Amino acid sequence: MIARVAWLLARPGTAGAAASALPVTAFGIVTALLLTVIGGAQAFWTWTDDEGVLYQALAVIALVLLVVPLVSLGGAAARLSARRRDDRLATLRLLGATPAAVSALAVIESAVLAAVGAVAGVVVYLAVVPLLGLIEFRGEPLSASGVLLPWPVLVAVPFGIAALAALSAVLGLRQVVISPLGVRTRQEAPRLHWVRVVIGVGVVALAFGLMAVLRVAPTTMVILGMLAVAFGASLAVLNLIGPWVIRLVARGQASRAKTPARLLAARTVLESPKGAWRQVGGVAMTSFMAVFAGTGVAVLGVMGAEGDAESQLLVTDIRTGILITVVGSFLMVACSVGVNQAAGILDRGELYRSLDMLGMPVATMDAARRRAVMSPLRITAIGSAVTAAIVMLPLTGITLIVAPESLLVIAGVLAAGIGIVWLGLLATRPVLERAASA
Amino acid sequence: MSSFVIEAAGLSRSFGSTRALAGVDLSVRTGESLAIMGASGSGKTTLLHCLAGITRPDAGTVGFVSGAGRVEVTGLGERERSRLRREAFGFVFQQGLLIPELTAVENVALALMLNGMPRARAEEHGRGWLAALGLAGMEDRRIGQLSGGQAQRVAIARAQVTGASVVFADEPTGALDSATSADVMRALLDSTTGQGRTLILVTHDAEVAGRCSRIVDMRDGRIVGERVSA
Repeated sequence: MIARVAWLLARPGTAGAAASALPVTAFGIVTALLLTVIGGAQAFWTWTDDEGVLYQALAVIALVLLVVPLVSLGGAAARLSARRRDDRLATLRLLGATPAAVSALAVIESAVLAAVGAVAGVVVYLAVVPLLGLIEFRGEPLSASGVLLPWPVLVAVPFGIAALAALSAVLGLRQVVISPLGVRTRQEAPRLHWVRVVIGVGVVALAFGLMAVLRVAPTTMVILGMLAVAFGASLAVLNLIGPWVIRLVARGQASRAKTPARLLAARTVLESPKGAWRQVGGVAMTSFMAVFAGTGVAVLGVMGAEGDAESQLLVTDIRTGILITVVGSFLMVACSVGVNQAAGILDRGELYRSLDMLGMPVATMDAARRRAVMSPLRITAIGSAVTAAIVMLPLTGITLIVAPESLLVIAGVLAAGIGIVWLGLLATRPVLERAASA
Repeated sequence: MSSFVIEAAGLSRSFGSTRALAGVDLSVRTGESLAIMGASGSGKTTLLHCLAGITRPDAGTVGFVSGAGRVEVTGLGERERSRLRREAFGFVFQQGLLIPELTAVENVALALMLNGMPRARAEEHGRGWLAALGLAGMEDRRIGQLSGGQAQRVAIARAQVTGASVVFADEPTGALDSATSADVMRALLDSTTGQGRTLILVTHDAEVAGRCSRIVDMRDGRIVGERVSA
């Protein structure tokens, strides 16, 4: 019976094929990026000399920087997939379907969409491998064979992605199972506990402490391990504090709002601070990277001026690594904003249509939607940059962070990150116009 | 005899090969309540949308007469029709279609804020309308915290708060039980025709239609009958 209902639910509904295409696309991009990152890092593990170990350690840092937001984006894609069917599953629950049946439907659907997307992602990765192989490290290309992952990994990743999606679906639909009416009518405004902030501050302080004692670490491997832990933990903690801060700011904005667009935007953010965070969470990573990369470039500038030919090569390679990491993060941001925005519009299609009938200009709806993204984005970008600056402070000293070259890179990366979100919003305006006039 | 507020002539509208309206003539007097009845697919909602300037007919004209004179709704561009709907008309839909993130009073005030009224004044007006419709004390509740009937009253307040001279309602009691439906209809009529305004509603419920002053029956995109309620 469950299989039969799952098949019926899988057929395109009023939202058309987009309801399934969006999560599939998101999972596809997540998989392709994940494989590209792991494939690139794999090439470093073929080196066995002393300097190779240094490259491997640097690759670990890059992996931590990329994998944390990538997993977060993967989770967002999984929740998106589940949310696409929330209403219909809640209706089934109201009709008397058992919690187990609803959970099973959610798991089946999310896992199948994720698996289809993941397989497409593997194909994209395989297409990118020759280009990836052209990237030069230590004076020579990595080569396609160097970055091509073994086939068991290529088979295992889609299964892993599907399992993650299934798990996320179960967690995301707990509320449907507990209270079907709650989901259908959106009764409760979400609450976020202040304990998040206490934990967050604690972890940042710990990361700061790690950076402060870095110089007395016994070996390079220990130093790099500490670096990876500090960066990874700080990034993860941004996910904890971010929604709380966004909610706090949105509450103030809602009470002060003077125009319909500002009021709608603030209330939209308050409806789901976690959702607002997820849309722009990729920028937290970009911001974090901006400070990291900005400081890094400044440090490298000093090193490059003093070092021999081998050091110069290392400096060039680290610059390349930073650039690749930043580009990767931009791709994640673009994916996150585009998919989330299009899905959000499709979800609220009926409401947008009714607002159009009431005479609300599409420009007002668009302004509200843009503000609901850009306001949390500003908080996210600044907050993440400040967090990274605090963590980096003991390592490089305030002089480097405020060095002109460092500041330029930080400003440039932040501007590019915010610009790409803006473009993502612009790209989805036609979807809004179609929804309003449907 | 009162004057006409809406005058439609020769309205036709097709969606692909489906003819939703096939030459409809209809005039609505100021202060009357008109029910448009018919089976699903008879064209009643399309007619309502054409009269309200939501949909432009393929042929025919719709005129709106107010104190400022007569406006040819069908001759207006998208932006002007949108402005007309915002300033002169009110709407109540079957599901209310209120904004779930906003509170009851914010939903009502939004209609005034769209016309440029400052928020504090708009919310004050909104509270007044909610109180008049029996929702005093519920102004700061979110829509999900209201019952179906209460949410429909919020929708009625939103439709009325701008001083709309014509309120269009599409199955306003379609999702309610009979007792709540009677309450909502009473609130809708009191706040429209009770105050000299015009109500045009679409329904397939004979009991609801019977509370209006005039009923037109539609079939296959045409008006096939007209009755005056007792």
